[in-house]
Amino acid sequence: MATRIISARFDDPENWRLERYRANGGYASLEKLFSMEPDAVIEEVKRSGLRGRGGAGFPTGMKWSFVPKNVDKPRYLCVNADEGEPGTFKDRQILEKDPHMLLEGIIICGYAVGIETAYVYVRGEYDFPISRLEHAISEAYDAGLLGDNVAGSGRRLDVYVHRGAGAYICGEETGLIESLEGKKGQPRVKPPFPAVEGVFGCPTVVNNVETLSALPWIIGHGADAYAALGTGKSTGTMLFSISGMVERPGVYETEFGVNLWEFIESSTGGVKDGKALKAVIPGGSSSPILTAEEARNVSLDYESLQAAGTMVGSGAIMVLDEDTSVPELLRVLLRFYAHESCGQCPPCREGTYWLYEIATRICEGRGRPDDIDLMLSVCPHMRGRTVCVLADAAAMPTESYLRKFRHEFEALIPKDPPPRRLLPGGVNPDEARAL
Amino acid sequence: MSVTITVDGREIQAPEGARLIDVCREHGIDIPHFCYHPGLGPDGNCRMCQVEFVTDRGRRLGISCRTIVTDGMVVETQSEAAKAARASVEEFLLLNHPLDCPICDKAGECTLQNYYMEHDLQDSRQTFTRFRKRKAVDIGPTLVLDQERCVLCDRCVRFLKDIAGTPQLYIAGRGHAAYITTFPGQEVTSPYSLCTVDLCPVGALTSKDFRFGSPTWFLKNTDTVCTTCARGCSMQLQEREGRVLRFRPRYNPEVNGYWACDEGRLNYHFVNDERIDVPHVRRGGALIDLTLDEALVETRRILGFEPLGAVDGDPAVRVAVLLSANCTLEEMHLARTLAARLGGAVFVARHRRDGVNDALLRRADRHANARGAELLGLDVIDLRGPAPDATRVRDALGEGGVLVAVGFDDEPGEAVADLAERASATIAVSGCINAVTEAAELVVPGVTFAEKDGLIVNFEDHLQRLRPALRGVHGVDTWRVLEALRASLSGQRPREMVGAIREEIAAGAPALAGVDLLHVGPRGVRVATQPVA
Repeated sequence: MATRIISARFDDPENWRLERYRANGGYASLEKLFSMEPDAVIEEVKRSGLRGRGGAGFPTGMKWSFVPKNVDKPRYLCVNADEGEPGTFKDRQILEKDPHMLLEGIIICGYAVGIETAYVYVRGEYDFPISRLEHAISEAYDAGLLGDNVAGSGRRLDVYVHRGAGAYICGEETGLIESLEGKKGQPRVKPPFPAVEGVFGCPTVVNNVETLSALPWIIGHGADAYAALGTGKSTGTMLFSISGMVERPGVYETEFGVNLWEFIESSTGGVKDGKALKAVIPGGSSSPILTAEEARNVSLDYESLQAAGTMVGSGAIMVLDEDTSVPELLRVLLRFYAHESCGQCPPCREGTYWLYEIATRICEGRGRPDDIDLMLSVCPHMRGRTVCVLADAAAMPTESYLRKFRHEFEALIPKDPPPRRLLPGGVNPDEARAL
Repeated sequence: MSVTITVDGREIQAPEGARLIDVCREHGIDIPHFCYHPGLGPDGNCRMCQVEFVTDRGRRLGISCRTIVTDGMVVETQSEAAKAARASVEEFLLLNHPLDCPICDKAGECTLQNYYMEHDLQDSRQTFTRFRKRKAVDIGPTLVLDQERCVLCDRCVRFLKDIAGTPQLYIAGRGHAAYITTFPGQEVTSPYSLCTVDLCPVGALTSKDFRFGSPTWFLKNTDTVCTTCARGCSMQLQEREGRVLRFRPRYNPEVNGYWACDEGRLNYHFVNDERIDVPHVRRGGALIDLTLDEALVETRRILGFEPLGAVDGDPAVRVAVLLSANCTLEEMHLARTLAARLGGAVFVARHRRDGVNDALLRRADRHANARGAELLGLDVIDLRGPAPDATRVRDALGEGGVLVAVGFDDEPGEAVADLAERASATIAVSGCINAVTEAAELVVPGVTFAEKDGLIVNFEDHLQRLRPALRGVHGVDTWRVLEALRASLSGQRPREMVGAIREEIAAGAPALAGVDLLHVGPRGVRVATQPVA
């Protein structure tokens, strides 16, 4: 059976209560934590090899060490619970089933980095998870685990819940910060990075819910035990939200380094109704697609997926069976990105919608022979050209769908497009509009 | 400390901490941009200023407005990748642009248009119906907004928020549906609102005043100075066929930066209208047109001299010369010489109602050259509102005195009009028809600021030169009229060159000693470091 660190207590339906969480071994890491120097905690996390589970996979300990030590400003922690990546629903499980594990992680991070205020920015639609989280926070305050004297350590830590208002872009760390400050959620130009200038212009750590939730285990069992799990630079375990055409979709945890398809098959029971596998999206809608053959031959870890031209991302695995239309999937996906683009940068603001229009035309049988190449020529000008990576997140999967399933798109494009209606004088109406 | 960077193979020394885009511009390498503006700083949203950085770890694209130069930085602005990146941004911006250039006020000076010619120059690959947004939206007393033309560079938003201190615009909506708008139910009422029209790189924000006024390429530019308040912003006056159509700021770091207030830039309409073109004299209720020579003869008659013979001695009546504090140094100097010849008093009057001081540019004192009058040692009096100093002029006139009123073009004020009416006779030298000229017996057409060649000094002792945008359209140079009067009453020939007057001023005013009044550059010069008593 797969190693379970984050989801270890998910099966206990009462684990969300403080009493039961403690009975299950919760908050046990704090005694050890407060016996360590804060810098030693950062070193421990660095040594564990823990990487951000929100999508970018940046080493957590290194992120913490970027926070300047000698600045006369408060430091903040933003917990990114704005789980917006299509296909991702793992943080929700943590908030619902083990919210104290997150709070324990927040205490660890707060102690290590010297933070007294943490904001949990939660996706606004998460009514039930928010109620569980708020319940846990009030229990923790009552038990002296939060507030003026965290677990008797003499340290102060306040945790606030901030509900998002439904924008995907507010899951991007600087968009989240802008939104938290009460502004329109638009990513900031980096540098300066949040570690130096984040919330209210102060040094800020932004960490994903799952990342912080791994900390109690790492402190409790030691960095070496965590680093021993997984493979290479992909240490430990990760929650994967598996959805799509499988028998038992859900959140499953595994060590890194297992075979991708074997993991999917063993945990979910394989493709639904015995259909054939067409493709797998391994890391959320923003990650390039893997064909069935690629998915069967790739190891589930950061390096292997990167070598395969895709990524672990937020761990949202989506399975496509033989009946799923890739062009239709692309159209839905592009509608999402066009809708969620904040609109700052022209390549993203205009590019995502343009791609969506072309994909729609193809899906509706009005495609033009050069449409595939047109899309492929637009994508490179969206990748890496904008303030944040939303444009990349739209362009990368688009390119991979078009390259790997070009035949499906070509099949939808009429071989002999009907002659275009011309205006008097032989003027093409489309070109006339462009004048 | 300075750093060395390499741009397009050229080694450039740059100050530490400078922005790459600024360093390049200073060395003649223009990097295209929409959202960046030297007066606003960068935002980083438009992606137009991408250049290619050559590093140990390979080549990468980056925006130059947000890049601080570091020693050893190697930049290529014209590499294939950089050019392709900019071309693609231009293409993205044009995807849903309405392309209504033929009816757009900005055509001819539009950044999007210019960059299309430089960077894109291909037929549109967009074959869908373009987005419709709102056009010709009335967003305030001065502005009209076209949301379709907008490239969402955020300049107008940032100007109103960061520079003018009156956040009145914002970007609403998201993605391709984002648009500039006012806050619900509100208008843009900033006194600096028209700066957003200058800042707008496209025709999204247009000025109600200039809208559909003229294709921009027909406008002739003259670098001059605003005379609406004591700031004296450096301006560009634009005329077409003898009519002033637009008045807008030009960059002068020592006075106004990039900005000017709405009041100043809209205060030019009197130049086109309400003008006096020929001298005239009032005889029994009728106006009789004169030539300038005939006007000189009339002057002698009014002052009690022999109209046609030699002129000697003092006039038969008391004379007071009253100038507007908007007059140039040359006019003030000649008026003083004239008054001295006639044995009369000379006053420089503040006569326009007060405005407000604000943190950016505007000054409560709405006179361009009151400080200049002080530097010349002239008597600056207050004829604003209740006009506390009106009695001094009345005393100087006594019974039966003649008032020579000079330069009260616009907004002469009630007190000046009252003095003109009560004097036994008034000779007005004015560019415009107003209450003073209505009360005057003899009116000689002068010129307004738009036609003047003269020097003014702002409240911070910054001396600048007004340059004539219109020549030979209306009136006679005011300084020439004064010189002709002085010469006619002194039995001399009038001087033809304004330079001679300037030399005389420089020689006579200690505060201006050492200032080369004959060669005042476009940004002017700071004078008088010592306070003048």
